[in-house]
Amino acid sequence: MIDLKELILPKDNLIPLLRKLSKDARLVAPVKNDHGDTLFTAISDLDTTEIDLANQPQASLKPFFLPQQETLAHYQISGDTYQFTAPKAAEDTIFFGVRSCDLTALLYMDLIFSKPAKDTSYYDRRSHSLIITLGCNQPFANCFCEATNSGPYLEYGYGLQFIDLGDRYYVSAGRGKGADLLKKWGYFFCEVQEEDQRIRYQLFLEARGQFNRNIQLAHACHKLQKEEVPEEIWEQLAERCYDCGGCAYVCPTCTCFSVDDKPQSRDSGIRVRSWDACTSGGFTRMAGGHNPVDRSRHALKRRFLHKLKYDFASHGKASCTGCGRCVDICFGGVDITRFIDLLTRQENP
Amino acid sequence: MNKTFIPARAIIREIIRENDQISTFRLELIDKTKPFSFLPGQFLMVSVPHCGEAAISISSSPDALPLIDLSIRRAGELTTAIHSMEKGARLGLRGPFGKAFPVEKFSGRDLLFVAGGIGLAPLKSVIDHCLFQSGLDDDAVSGIRLLYGSRSPSDIAFTGTIGLWREQGIDVRLTVDEKDEHWTDHVGLVTELLEDITLDSNSISLICGPPVMIRSVIAKLTEMGCDDTNIFTTLERHMKCGMGLCGHCHLDGRLVCLDGPVFSVSELNTMDVMELSR
Repeated sequence: MIDLKELILPKDNLIPLLRKLSKDARLVAPVKNDHGDTLFTAISDLDTTEIDLANQPQASLKPFFLPQQETLAHYQISGDTYQFTAPKAAEDTIFFGVRSCDLTALLYMDLIFSKPAKDTSYYDRRSHSLIITLGCNQPFANCFCEATNSGPYLEYGYGLQFIDLGDRYYVSAGRGKGADLLKKWGYFFCEVQEEDQRIRYQLFLEARGQFNRNIQLAHACHKLQKEEVPEEIWEQLAERCYDCGGCAYVCPTCTCFSVDDKPQSRDSGIRVRSWDACTSGGFTRMAGGHNPVDRSRHALKRRFLHKLKYDFASHGKASCTGCGRCVDICFGGVDITRFIDLLTRQENP
Repeated sequence: MNKTFIPARAIIREIIRENDQISTFRLELIDKTKPFSFLPGQFLMVSVPHCGEAAISISSSPDALPLIDLSIRRAGELTTAIHSMEKGARLGLRGPFGKAFPVEKFSGRDLLFVAGGIGLAPLKSVIDHCLFQSGLDDDAVSGIRLLYGSRSPSDIAFTGTIGLWREQGIDVRLTVDEKDEHWTDHVGLVTELLEDITLDSNSISLICGPPVMIRSVIAKLTEMGCDDTNIFTTLERHMKCGMGLCGHCHLDGRLVCLDGPVFSVSELNTMDVMELSR
């Protein structure tokens, strides 16, 4: 526990440090593209690419660990053979500018993909990764990580955590790779002064005071352990769900997937894992057409109960990290915060 | 066996036609260096060239290893492709997955099997295992009865097996929904066969079939005084991984692939299982 280390990185040293780091590993950070969308992007040239730390990346880290489509295996068929081979191993990657909510989501994914056995491809990428987070001094419009206990700053889980103090970053190292990195590149950093600690704490308090929304998430989780959700709520939500799967796709903790074999030629093909969403009708439909879920009433039931009821019961924590992306994307207005509001409002009319 | 998405290779040694829609594929793993064992009620993820995978329960007893039977009804694209395969063809297998029937608790008990259609497949694994065990006095069950419902006489599957079971003293009673001119046996629902059955505290019931059948059989057994902890059934869900990752079989806080597919009725009573509550 004692290997936790804290240092100051002057902002002028950020790019030189990242340049060093990107010599040994792929560097991924938020970059604004030509359409104005900020997305985590692999950066090959730090001189021509500008890292965007002002906006929330529209997608989480999920695609880098559970890609929207990934090849799990190649297969060959010929005469007597029907043989599968594994894909090539992941490359070392450093993620920079990751928000607290998205790292919390990754820690949740670690849990999901380790039970009952480790998922080979996920853990291959995970073991080749180092995450550098940036604490949020200013929550974005729909964020509610305070309610989900996953921000604005983190206590653990990161390789390094950066806090923006204006002209410098307050850097905390987690165990292992993060601490090693500080040791290796120590000359970019300077010692923490008492003043830095004071400002950091002040910024933390201010950040916590800036959330626009008061989401009764913990209350909802406890309530769900004890009571059934009134059918009217499910029906009200189902009526405005358009089955687009957007919420599940942008959600950093929605990890449900499908596996399909795709022929590439007459005698070869690939086994592909792709994102799936429990909100869609085909998710539970079986061969022959029988579907044990009535989508017209329960389109969103699985998703919300999984995150707020079952995960809370089994891990002591809901698997919503308050990133607010589903709020941004749902055009039916039936995101998780609407559900929480409907559920908790009943008590205080 | 492995917990990745890469299957082990298997060869079809024999194909037994059970009826128009169902055939039993007798498989053997090619690579014998890795140990393979399973328990009755567990299932495999079966890979078919260019079709992908499907979850299919094993219909043979572990005592028949290295041979593994999969009794498959033609239902969709993948199962249709399997039905077009011939002896000697190759398949991929991952598993075994899922919780088995608690066969270790069956010695000295009186077993009642109630099946409908292809639902006899996973129960067949239990019956054959119990028959094998009956050669070993200590583990023997005290009796086996089977109530089996089919749509019509030509839909009755596993007729060869049923003949063998009868020879070995199993009380098998058949019923069909619609009879033909040769049918002299019972006509009607499989629950009607329960009317002539006596059960006591030593009885254990195992049910598998279409959801509507499972639901009415559970109701009837409960009415007859059967304890919830002594009734077992299996749930069927769309599955993509078999090992608790893909989320498709999530059911009211449980995963059918890990916590099931075999459940006791006392467990099911604490869950919201739509097809059984409708």
